Amino acid sequence: MAAQPVLDERSLIKVQAPPASLEREPLVGSQHGPGWLSDRIAGVIEGETPGWWKISFAISVTMMTVCFALILYLMSTGVGIWGLQHPVMWGYAIINFVWWIGIGHAGTLISAILFLLRQRWRTSINRAAEAMTIFAVMCAGIFPLIHIGRIWYGWWLFPVPNSNGIWPQFRSPLMWDVFAVSTYFTVSVLFWYMGLIPDLAVMRDRAKTKIRKFSYGLFALGWTGSNRHWSNYEKAYLILAGLSTPLVLSVHSIVSLDFSVSQLPGWHTTIFPPYFVAGAVYSGFGMVLTLLVPLRRMLKLEEIITVRHVELMCKVTLATGSIVGYAYGMEFFIAWYSGNPYERFLFLQNRAADPFILGPLFHVPPAPYWWAFWTMVTCNVVVPQFFWFKKVRTSMLAVFFLSILVNVGMWFERFVIVITSLHREFLPSNWGYYGPTWVDILQFLGTFGLFFTFFLLFLRYIPLIAIAEVKGVTPQADPHHPLGGAKVGGKH
Amino acid sequence: MKTIPPPCHEPETGPKYWRGLDQVAETPEFRQWVEREFPAGAGEWTDPVSRRHFVRIMSASFLLAGLGATGCRRPVEKIYPFAKMPENYVHGVPQYFATAMPSRRGATALIVKSSDGRPTKIEGNPDLPDGNGGTDPLAQAAVLGLYDPDRAMRFALNGEARGRQAALDALTKLSETAGDGSGLAFLLEQSSSPSRARLQAAIAGKFPKARWHVYEAVDLDLGRQTASLAYKTPVEPYFKLDQARVILSVDCDFIGSEENAHGNIRRFAQGRALEGKEDSMSRLYAVESLFTLTGLNADHRLRLPPSLIVPALARLALKILAPSDMDGKLRDLSAAAQAHDSWIEPCAQDLKTNAGRSLVLAGYRLPPAAHLLAIAINEALGAVNHTVEYHTAPAAIDPDLAGLAAALKGGQVQTLVILGGNPAYNAPADLDWPQAQAKAKTVVRLGSHEDETAWNAALHADAQWDLPQAHFLESWGDARTADGTLAPIQPLIDPIFGGITELEVLALIGGLTPSTPYEIARETFRSIGGDSENAWRKYLHDGYLAGSAAPAASVRHDPSALAGALAQLKSAPSQGGLEIVFYRDAKMDDGRYNNNGWLQELPDPITKLTWDNAVLLSPATARRLNVDYRKRGAQNQKFFEHTVEVTLNNRSIKGPVWVQPGMADDTIGLALGYGRQRTGRVGRGAGFDACKLRTSDNLYYAAGAVLRDTGDTSYELATTQSHWSMEGRPVVREANLEQYRKDPAFAQKMKPEKPPVESPLYPNPLDTTKLNGLHQWGLSIDLNRCVGCSACMVACQSENNIPIVGKEMVGKSREMHWIRLDRYYAGPVEDPQAVTQPMLCQHCEAAPCESVCPVNATSHDDEGLNVMTYNRCVGTRYCSNNCPYKVRRFNFFDYNRRPLDHLYKSPLVTETDGQWELLRWLKNPDKGNLPEDQWQLSRLVKNPDVSVRMRGVMEKCSLCLQRIEQAKIAAKVKARDSGHIRLSEKENTVPKTACQQACPAEAIVFGDTSDAGSAVSKAKKQERTYTVLEFLLTKPRCTYLARVRNPNPLMPDYREHPMPRTTEEFNSGPFSSPESETEPSGKGAL
Repeated sequence: MAAQPVLDERSLIKVQAPPASLEREPLVGSQHGPGWLSDRIAGVIEGETPGWWKISFAISVTMMTVCFALILYLMSTGVGIWGLQHPVMWGYAIINFVWWIGIGHAGTLISAILFLLRQRWRTSINRAAEAMTIFAVMCAGIFPLIHIGRIWYGWWLFPVPNSNGIWPQFRSPLMWDVFAVSTYFTVSVLFWYMGLIPDLAVMRDRAKTKIRKFSYGLFALGWTGSNRHWSNYEKAYLILAGLSTPLVLSVHSIVSLDFSVSQLPGWHTTIFPPYFVAGAVYSGFGMVLTLLVPLRRMLKLEEIITVRHVELMCKVTLATGSIVGYAYGMEFFIAWYSGNPYERFLFLQNRAADPFILGPLFHVPPAPYWWAFWTMVTCNVVVPQFFWFKKVRTSMLAVFFLSILVNVGMWFERFVIVITSLHREFLPSNWGYYGPTWVDILQFLGTFGLFFTFFLLFLRYIPLIAIAEVKGVTPQADPHHPLGGAKVGGKH
Repeated sequence: MKTIPPPCHEPETGPKYWRGLDQVAETPEFRQWVEREFPAGAGEWTDPVSRRHFVRIMSASFLLAGLGATGCRRPVEKIYPFAKMPENYVHGVPQYFATAMPSRRGATALIVKSSDGRPTKIEGNPDLPDGNGGTDPLAQAAVLGLYDPDRAMRFALNGEARGRQAALDALTKLSETAGDGSGLAFLLEQSSSPSRARLQAAIAGKFPKARWHVYEAVDLDLGRQTASLAYKTPVEPYFKLDQARVILSVDCDFIGSEENAHGNIRRFAQGRALEGKEDSMSRLYAVESLFTLTGLNADHRLRLPPSLIVPALARLALKILAPSDMDGKLRDLSAAAQAHDSWIEPCAQDLKTNAGRSLVLAGYRLPPAAHLLAIAINEALGAVNHTVEYHTAPAAIDPDLAGLAAALKGGQVQTLVILGGNPAYNAPADLDWPQAQAKAKTVVRLGSHEDETAWNAALHADAQWDLPQAHFLESWGDARTADGTLAPIQPLIDPIFGGITELEVLALIGGLTPSTPYEIARETFRSIGGDSENAWRKYLHDGYLAGSAAPAASVRHDPSALAGALAQLKSAPSQGGLEIVFYRDAKMDDGRYNNNGWLQELPDPITKLTWDNAVLLSPATARRLNVDYRKRGAQNQKFFEHTVEVTLNNRSIKGPVWVQPGMADDTIGLALGYGRQRTGRVGRGAGFDACKLRTSDNLYYAAGAVLRDTGDTSYELATTQSHWSMEGRPVVREANLEQYRKDPAFAQKMKPEKPPVESPLYPNPLDTTKLNGLHQWGLSIDLNRCVGCSACMVACQSENNIPIVGKEMVGKSREMHWIRLDRYYAGPVEDPQAVTQPMLCQHCEAAPCESVCPVNATSHDDEGLNVMTYNRCVGTRYCSNNCPYKVRRFNFFDYNRRPLDHLYKSPLVTETDGQWELLRWLKNPDKGNLPEDQWQLSRLVKNPDVSVRMRGVMEKCSLCLQRIEQAKIAAKVKARDSGHIRLSEKENTVPKTACQQACPAEAIVFGDTSDAGSAVSKAKKQERTYTVLEFLLTKPRCTYLARVRNPNPLMPDYREHPMPRTTEEFNSGPFSSPESETEPSGKGAL
């Protein structure tokens, strides 16, 4: 037995961890090994189907069925079954479209922009957020199609060569929408799938049944985890992240152009593109919070999706919410500053004038939709301000509740933009009032059915956290970490 | 193989040649050979039976065509090619025929378009000396009435179909058994037909003891009756409103509901027209209880409850008439109106100052004394033969319906012949007409519908024959227009449901020959226009008999009639309670147009209500009675008003309240013609029946009504315009005459702001090239001429196949009218000024709708039209959102193909005619899901030159593109090699749009703006021209000429400016909207 080399006490390089007060909270709280992580995440899929899942799934499928039944009703009967009417020709469908698209922003933002910015905390939440994005875009995508009068000619919006030589009209923002949304959806799906491959391989390797082995194996594309695989994977992932990043900004900018290209007071606003993107990120993070805060508890993933994650997301929400609030203020300022009486009328008398304060102050009758406007302001400007407080950010109950208000607020923002601008514009003889019908409401709720059906299936069949990536950010993955390597003190 | 030549067709007559024995023998081999050799259907030709059939049809067609009988309908089911085309017929090219639509005292001379044998569009006859081609909404909608699937279509005895011959035999038998006519009574409608007068005289000669009565629920004949009294000779007045400088209307809605309104509008608009600042215009004063179109167009308006109208007139008379022994009575009468002296005095002064050029008009609701008073005033003003002429007119029949009812109840009438009219619905309630009618032994009733007067299972005479009445487009006849010109009524189609005419029935009952309507009309013409066949043909061709207008009679006023009438006039009793005005509805008339969908959906010119009448109340009265509109809930264009019960002399009705600004206080306005019990599928359930309150002595005005709020606010009223105020926006621009003279270009200065740039920052290179067409179409609308009659709306609906959508849809602002009449109020709620503005696609050169359509469905043509490709439209509706004028209309449902009560029901789960809708559709996608009879008829009224839009498609005004194209094609055909294909107004080749053609006021001018000499170019050069929302730089091709009022500075309601706020006021203040404080409605608010 060889003698141990005697080390001089002085020759030892003292590796000392920074004081506890300076120590950053680990990104993943798990002190367990990588195997535990795999077990825990894959366990969501492999474990027994929880009761709440079954109940939620039954409800979601029912709602989705209602949604599709109503689409059938719509197609067979006409868009008149909605509350649309002169002069409000766009209603719930467009509101819901913009709202769902907005929600679809968080996923790609988290997965692409945060990836490029080396925000490694994203790994715990990116998979679920991306799934949310895809399903939200699916929900969104339904509406532009079904809202048109002749659904069966929807394909005319695509530049399909035909014998008539008629092309789409490329000056129309609706045309740009078609490209923006379909590109965004395609790239988001690719990006998501790309990230999934190593995890699908994990699932394949863990599979106990042949069917599982086959299907996961099919989609894992023969992943073996070899060096070459990883190398290609990382490159591809980076390229896709680079591709997705401008899309995050472009898709909602273009959706906003649907409005700002028109000449309607309240729509014709140059601030819309940045304001819509900020709003979209705001609502997207709101939705991620709404989904993940209860899920981390129900699926016992608190160690992976930590309070810190929630806090960080709250901070993004706060930042974007404040941008949105600023944009609201700016719209009012410009309406006043422009001197355009139609703009002024719109902002005051269609939106802001409430029966209690502003109306009496300016001697105007209350705006027909003042309640919608003030719901929007409360939820989008006031609510995020609570996230200044750490106590709020760390209280899961509060975060959950506030995140729902964020979503409500953002829905009302679209309502305010679409409806209040349209219902009373230039010629007073056209003025009207819009109210949804039961079909509008059920169809909107029905898209939740669609969304949650897919999301619940996702939870049961696809690892909701990127197993491979999240291991990389555990303390023990750090060679300098006591659990991870010889040296103490090094951090991720 | 040798080809055997096909057999020659043998001539029908002449020797028969045969090709071979086979042919003679008609052997199977020969037939087989024929059938093999030729395509399918060739066998038809060799079948002698069907070939003969074909030839028979053809020769019948030729025969009729040669006769000039245009009423023949070609067979619908069998299609044969025309081996030889009937003369003057080109398939697909419409033909135009002159005819006339009879009205109560007159007629509207018409030119009707016939598309392949079916009348599709009605126009006024522009050649008539007393006309300009303008019509009213009722005439425009008459073509839909022709294809009403609910029209009477059977000859029935006691409700059971008996066949035409049986009915005609019964009439003949009646004539044989009538003896001297005792026990025989005729109840007719008013008519100007000389043929009817002739038949009537003949029958009266044959049955001297027969009783004759004329009944009209709304009698517009009072002017004639009273003039005849005042001048002691049968005359009728003819108003030359264009000659008048000052007009006073005393509850006379001569623009809306009086006889010959479109003629009045034409002359009135002429008197108001302004070309330049030197022009003068007439001044209109109105005294009225309701807010009518006449009041809307008045420069000064005095709203008075009915009981004060005669006093006000009396007061005016005192100031104008020379002192006489009637003054005492007049002073008594006028005491009640003393408070309004400040208004009446300067008005009287103005009339006197303009003596000889002023005119006082009395409305049909006023008592005879008031009419006589107006006649006396006109005499004193020297109006006769200047602003009013009296034409000799035939003496009318005594309209004593009460006498007839009494005679019926007394058993003196065995046989009652009712020709037209619907007394069971609209006779005064105290007569209890259905009971009276049932007392007759035999009733013969000619009616257009199986309505209330038709056989009633619960209450009926021993025998009642119901005969279907032919529509005027199906029948021969004649009529006289307002100035007495004789106009023919020519059929354009055979009676669709086999109906017969009044003339036929009269001839049969009278046992007169000839008894066919054609012969009757022809016979009558002989006595008027001579025996010449050429004169008759010219008369039919022109649509009127030139020179047949009644000459002005030289009349001498006899004041004794007035004295007598004044003595009989009860001075208005000061009964408590509310006063009621029963008025002729602008659309339903007295109920006769109840089943006409275009009219039901046409918004009332003032209230903008559709599909309903309402209990009209002034805002103050509504507030006092606590049925104020402020308490109602509003959903867009749907209003839930208080349902109130109006009680008058123990009779009561229930109806929803409509608060009407500008109404007289303590007055209830009730429109007649609604609430029909037995009507068709369209009119069912529309409104409430105000006739139930009317009694013989309260036909138009009643006092002492009590109104009680039932507390029910569930009844829904649908209006096409829910916001009443212009919010100070310079949408309709107007000024007073002095201001206009000082600054003729005032309208252009009323911009909210100058456009920030004069042209786009990034000009579209296509913008310049796209406007290089041969013509550049444009439109100019003179708001000073437009009176708001709404004829243009129905004309457009008829021309452009615009569907009706039903009340529920109107309540959701989904009506489809391409042109609408916006009506705005300004000023105080109680006594506002109002303006109307036709609003249609403005055909912007930089159209916001075009740039946002993703599929290129709406685009610009090189002649400046914004065109809509229905087939390409997918229905994103973005174009409508981006249209600042909101003139685009969307087909939310398949309005043309599905029943209006099925709209919300999916075709997946509904049935029509007992068949699953989806299956029906799969079997034949070109067939609608309307019930078969409706479907067949609804197709007939469609204009074949305009596509019928399906659901999910946006539509809008095309400036009657089909007419432009037809004109262009015609020009090209005519030009041949000359290359002269440009349409020009000088050559009269520029088409008129439907709205323009229907407009009696000539307010709409369409034409080529690239032709400096065209009317539209000249109109656009006027300084009053302005563009709505010009700061948006949409560069509309449709411009407006600002409105000018002509108020009298001496009047108490004189204002320096018209009431709508000026732009400066609109712009002042940070978020100002000054109009909102005085906004009459609070509508639009939640």
